[in-house]
Amino acid sequence: MKALWRIWARVAGLFHKNWRDREMAQEFESHLQLHIDDNIRAGMSPEQARREALVKFGGMETAKESIRETSRLLWFDTALRDMRYALRGLRLNPGFAATAVLSLTLGIGASVAIYTVADNLLLRPLPYPDAKQLVMLYEKNPHRGFAHNVISPANYFDWKAQSSSFSAIGGFFDFHVILGDGKRTEEKDAQAVSGEVLPALQVKPVRGRIFTMQEDKDDAHVAVISYRLWQEWFGGDESVIGRQVQVNSRPFTVIGVLPPDFYFNTRTSDVWLTLGLNPANNLRKTQGRWMWAVARLKPGVSLSQARAEMTGIAQRLEIAYPEFNKGWGADVVPLRDSFVGQAKTSLMVLLGAVTLLLCVACANVANLLLARYSARRREMAVRGALGAARGRLIRQLLTESVILGLAGGIAGVVLAYFAVSGLVALAPRDLTRSVQITFDLRIVLFAFLLSLVTSIIFGLAPALMASHGDLNRGLHEESRTSTGGGTRMRSWLVALEIACSVALMAGAGLLFRSLVGLQNVDPGLDAHNILTFRVTLPTQRYKEEQKRIDFFQQATEKLNQLPGVRSASATSYLPLNGIGAGTTVQISGQPPAKPGEEFVATIRTVLPGYFRTMGIPLKRGRAFNAADDVEFTPHRFIVSEAFVRKCLSGEEPLGKQISAWMNKENPFGEIVGVVGDVSDKTLDSEPAPTVYYIHSHLSYGEMVFVLRAENDALSLADPARKVIKEIDPELPLSQIRTMETVVRQTFASQQFSAVLLGGFSLASLLLAAIGVYGVLAYSVTQRTREIGVRIALGAEPLAITRMVVASGTRMVILGAAAGLAAALALSGLMKSLLFGIGPRDPLTFVAAPVIFVVVALVAAYVPARRAAQVSPMEALRAE
Amino acid sequence: MALMVLKTLESMGPLHGYGIARRIEQISGDRLSLNYGSIYPALLRLEQERAIVSEWGTSENNRKAKYYRLTAAGRRQLKQETAEWQEAAAIVARFLAPKESL
Repeated sequence: MKALWRIWARVAGLFHKNWRDREMAQEFESHLQLHIDDNIRAGMSPEQARREALVKFGGMETAKESIRETSRLLWFDTALRDMRYALRGLRLNPGFAATAVLSLTLGIGASVAIYTVADNLLLRPLPYPDAKQLVMLYEKNPHRGFAHNVISPANYFDWKAQSSSFSAIGGFFDFHVILGDGKRTEEKDAQAVSGEVLPALQVKPVRGRIFTMQEDKDDAHVAVISYRLWQEWFGGDESVIGRQVQVNSRPFTVIGVLPPDFYFNTRTSDVWLTLGLNPANNLRKTQGRWMWAVARLKPGVSLSQARAEMTGIAQRLEIAYPEFNKGWGADVVPLRDSFVGQAKTSLMVLLGAVTLLLCVACANVANLLLARYSARRREMAVRGALGAARGRLIRQLLTESVILGLAGGIAGVVLAYFAVSGLVALAPRDLTRSVQITFDLRIVLFAFLLSLVTSIIFGLAPALMASHGDLNRGLHEESRTSTGGGTRMRSWLVALEIACSVALMAGAGLLFRSLVGLQNVDPGLDAHNILTFRVTLPTQRYKEEQKRIDFFQQATEKLNQLPGVRSASATSYLPLNGIGAGTTVQISGQPPAKPGEEFVATIRTVLPGYFRTMGIPLKRGRAFNAADDVEFTPHRFIVSEAFVRKCLSGEEPLGKQISAWMNKENPFGEIVGVVGDVSDKTLDSEPAPTVYYIHSHLSYGEMVFVLRAENDALSLADPARKVIKEIDPELPLSQIRTMETVVRQTFASQQFSAVLLGGFSLASLLLAAIGVYGVLAYSVTQRTREIGVRIALGAEPLAITRMVVASGTRMVILGAAAGLAAALALSGLMKSLLFGIGPRDPLTFVAAPVIFVVVALVAAYVPARRAAQVSPMEALRAE
Repeated sequence: MALMVLKTLESMGPLHGYGIARRIEQISGDRLSLNYGSIYPALLRLEQERAIVSEWGTSENNRKAKYYRLTAAGRRQLKQETAEWQEAAAIVARFLAPKESL
């Protein structure tokens, strides 16, 4: 308490300084008067009395100084003085100040921006109570390369019955619905959840309630909506609870509204419905794997315990149901990992990259400071000689670097603020799909600390060096002949900059090579000028197969006749989009495969004209025609080349009878054609064997239309919408985009990292070049006399140039070698981002240092030329 | 010094700096000779700790002077520090006593 009062008094002491000084003087004066009066009373003469009083008082100035020290925050005064001094110094040298602040702005800005994204994705707790207990349950099939696979509802019920690690297990899947409230009809993202999901997430609705277990069991027609939908559609109206909405043309009752910041798995869900699974049905016979499961660990149960238990259960299920479960295991993954997924690697690489960039920026500023301080060495020595303590000198120099650091930090935060929104726009979908990215006070605090720490890092060494004790040397030193410790340290700093930059450049090189490789991969189709959009028929109104077949036939026909359309068709799932259906395929004439060894193929159902529209080459036989698209024709299939290779081991495919299990009845049908391969997921994944159904035999109610345009594909969106509305005015179009966008999305994450890393490495290249130039230019200035003498003695200008360049070569080579070693050691971390090249790609690892050495030598050549042009007379006169 | 100042103010009531310094010197029987100037930083510190407060007043011989007065907190502090000091002195005394008896 005492100490607090004292501090408070000192802070208050910062104000009214003059008044306090006056008061002190008055008090001392009155003290002396009292003393003099006493002395005179004791019989002294006035002069004697005064002298005695003064002597008895002691040093008047010492007392005043002591009072001033006690009454104010002294360090604050000093800091203010240092700050004024530093600002004056910086104003006198704006070039230096600007370069330093700019370097730091780049370094800190990039770090803060990447940190913001990483913090949001990797560090911040997910918005659920005790989110650490939440896990996703997956099936996996290592033989077929399926990690994190969707699960079978049958296995889901067995997991629930047999496991004891979890306090709840719930099933869900993401889909979309056509939502209507009588006024409008729109497609909205939705989630079907079992009764356990929302309670397991411990979400409290802001209005109404969530589903009961009974409602889930009955598949009751009740819906929970998002806060967003409540605001947008119902204006936040309280009477929304109990209101009827149309979900896929069926009436549902709204029973609850979820909180505004709630999201789960995707951030776009607006409607939650019950999953309504009935365990009594024989789900292994009737359904495959299609849903997801989330679970909450019981308190005290660890992830590895849960994983062990689930592995055991999956093994038992594999033995109990070999036809269904052969080769299938189970996996337990923390919820955050499953949300963030692949983005984690990209982010770690980027975090590493910004750290390197920040290092380069710090080294660069330290370098500039060293140059500046060595010019002020004499000043320091003089001040030291006049009695300035070393700590005091260091503190003053550090004040300057902290000012630089904070200026860079402030500019960096501004840069980062804009960079983050750019980053999010540029980011691959899976980076931002499930987590919101926000820029808040926490980030600003981080930036502040970061700039403080960096300014101490880059400022301390130069400050120590500059204030180095040897006064005599400092005073005697003739600045132009000295090549002291400062220069050696600067060379080391430049070597460090070069090492970091080379490592960065190698990383960027690897990513760019991968990106170019990906862009040159033949996607197996011609993505130019194709418009795609999805139309979902509400099951209620399109129950009969014939209705669905008719709709899509009619729509395709009309779209085909639109002006500007070359051809139009539709498919169940777009390729290169990451989603699709797969099933077991049986080949006539072959014995039924052993469980777990069946052929599995991707299944697409298409309308006639699909291959022509998409530009997928027909290799053998014929494509589907209108005559195939009739419900009662015999089944006919078209397969991909990968199917011929893998499932028919290259045998003659045309005329072969196959059966792909998609319906209740799966009659064998003839293969009438073979088409080129197109990958389901990304360009770098191996194309899966694919079987194409004609729509009339596998009549999905949800299809993606594809339109090949004469030129601008997006301009067809409005005419196409009109065509669909003419047939059925209540059908919304969704996901309208070009095929090129779809293809580009597949390498978005590589592009993202490559562009960023490329930018970082260019910035660091620039900084390092400035570093090389700075050190050499400085040493040339210092050695002017020596060089002048050499020229006077007959040295050729070329030899001088060579000498100076050579003196820079050592640090460049050393730095490049260190950077290369670091890059080789670290590049393994990027493996999953690379395509077509190994993490030790020779071309990259040769090119990066070579580019660097060339740039560095150019930077060295400029001062070297200046050295060669030194006129000996001038140099000697400079004496 | 702080303890002496507090004790002086307790026994003498409100007093100016000169008076306090003078009094301390007298109490010590002039064995303790101090620079009067050094009393002021100590007074300021005590004032900052709110053990004493000051105000301008007039001295007995009609001089303007700043008077210091003990506060309740100051009294508490004096009591506590007196006890502490006595204890410390007692310990040192006991520590020194056997040596003499040897």
